[in-house]
Amino acid sequence: MVTISDQARSRILGLMKAEKRDHVALRFGVQGRHGGEFVYRLAFVEESDRAATDVVVDAGGFQLYVDADSAPSLEGASIDYVEGPRESGFKIDNPNPVWPDPTARAVQQVLDTEINPAVASHGGHVTLIDVKDGIAYIALGGGCQGCGMVDVTLKQGIEVRVRELVPEIREIIDTTDHAEGRNPYYQPAKGGASPFSS
Amino acid sequence: MDPVLLLMTTATYRAGAFLEAAARVGVPVVAGTERPQALAGLNPSAHLTLDFLALADSTRAIVSFAERRLLGAVIAADDEGVELAAMAASALGLTHNPVAAVATARSKRRTREAVSAAGLPSPRFRTVPLDEDPARAAARTAYPCVLKPLELSASRGVIRANRPSDFVEAFHRVARIARGAVPGGGKEILIEDYIPGREVALEGLLTRGNLRVLALFDKPDPLEGPYFEETIYVTPSRLGPDEREAIAGAAAGAARAIGLVEGPVHAELRLNDRGAFLVEIAPRSIGGLCSRALRFDDGVSLEELILRHALGQDVESLEREPLAAGVMMIPIPRAGRLEGVGGREEALRVPGIEDVRVTIPRGQEVVPLPEGSRYLGFIFARETSPERVEEALRAAHRLLRFDIQAPSRTAQGPRGPA
Repeated sequence: MVTISDQARSRILGLMKAEKRDHVALRFGVQGRHGGEFVYRLAFVEESDRAATDVVVDAGGFQLYVDADSAPSLEGASIDYVEGPRESGFKIDNPNPVWPDPTARAVQQVLDTEINPAVASHGGHVTLIDVKDGIAYIALGGGCQGCGMVDVTLKQGIEVRVRELVPEIREIIDTTDHAEGRNPYYQPAKGGASPFSS
Repeated sequence: MDPVLLLMTTATYRAGAFLEAAARVGVPVVAGTERPQALAGLNPSAHLTLDFLALADSTRAIVSFAERRLLGAVIAADDEGVELAAMAASALGLTHNPVAAVATARSKRRTREAVSAAGLPSPRFRTVPLDEDPARAAARTAYPCVLKPLELSASRGVIRANRPSDFVEAFHRVARIARGAVPGGGKEILIEDYIPGREVALEGLLTRGNLRVLALFDKPDPLEGPYFEETIYVTPSRLGPDEREAIAGAAAGAARAIGLVEGPVHAELRLNDRGAFLVEIAPRSIGGLCSRALRFDDGVSLEELILRHALGQDVESLEREPLAAGVMMIPIPRAGRLEGVGGREEALRVPGIEDVRVTIPRGQEVVPLPEGSRYLGFIFARETSPERVEEALRAAHRLLRFDIQAPSRTAQGPRGPA
């Protein structure tokens, strides 16, 4: 399902040793999609974190947990570790299309070619989270997050254009936590994060 | 259905509520804002960029737009757009308030003059130039009095003075606030008698000059100064029928005196044994996120009711729900940098609490009244009685923990909800 290069395995085992952690595994999954590419999650977790539906890969010295939702999108993927003057770090090659579903692909196309270039001029960006049953789930980031005009951007801009170009979409739902935004409501200047703390 | 032109500032709290209401009504919206919208180019027939202060130019722009796309109504979500809304609606032949009436309502001094001339209970008042010698002005003032910058709202810069020494100090402070906050620096300060009594807020709807009270909010926290920070609003009012009638009569009289005849009004009044005194009346609905406390019939929002009314639909049968409801505008306890607000989950578990929204992000400078004017956020409650609503709001507020660090030297008071 997922292959791990010798360099990556060696690096991961080295990190585990450095952190002096026993009974840990590596969780690998698709966290989201942004700018037409997968965004991956790669993190150490306790072995107790393993879910019954996880796909477990014996990586030679440690186990790799892949959640069931991510598994189809990671079939045939490989994890490598590269170190060089231009780039350094884990490198993931994934042969799978970012959006196998043609409707989702079409929505992503509208975001990439029309919406994001326009909202970028206001310091914002829109990410497609998922498309299910004719509903597109999006998240707004940057200057859009928490902006008093976010509803205008969504209802008068994104929704109109996406539905016009992708008629299969009947609704767009904003999943953003706008309390986390940089410019919620009345604010003299940009900067800041969620006021809520636990 | 012809679209509604919704005038709002890009910093408004109200966009979401109005757009949601428009979707329920099934009316398209043209968003009229003072700055260009990010996606206006993709949907130009639904956006207009307008200078709310350049009334004649912006009215021409709206009329020109309406030649290409008919408009069914023009509504202002915030104070800033009410004059343009009246002027544009007039030019388009739509139902509207007289332009002169809206201009009067936007001026504290002209409102006082109109209400006083109509013989309605009104504090004695006068205006004083900002460059007047405060000691001289103090000597000509009766006490206690209240000093208000003419051009600001939401209690910003409003200070009570009980004696001449208070007056001089307050005058300097109000002048500094006005100079810093008003475009052009502000010109005058309104000085008026302090009116003791209980303060209430009235949310109303005018139809051909007849005022219908949509909700009357008690403000259970005493507003006695020296600053006048709003906190809790609870409806229905616990005042008796005679008192409620006096308040409704005073608000209707003030609207008539000013010349307001159509659309939403938000009024603040003080009630004592001499009658109901108008503090202010604005030709728009309640500010901030406070409208969420109001629900009509089986879930109609205040914004939906306003839209339906503006489109000429019958809203007479829509009554406020039987439950009591309230909102607390979370006060800023001290100046500084907001590092966080804890206790939200606990506050949400208080029976009756529906939502706790903090609308200032972490890392921002917060400034209490009278220099500042915004609130930290809003707490909403619904319960079987006004007493229980008030109790729930206070209990939830007690559970919130505000981490505010020492202020930076650049702290400024931004605009805020009215």
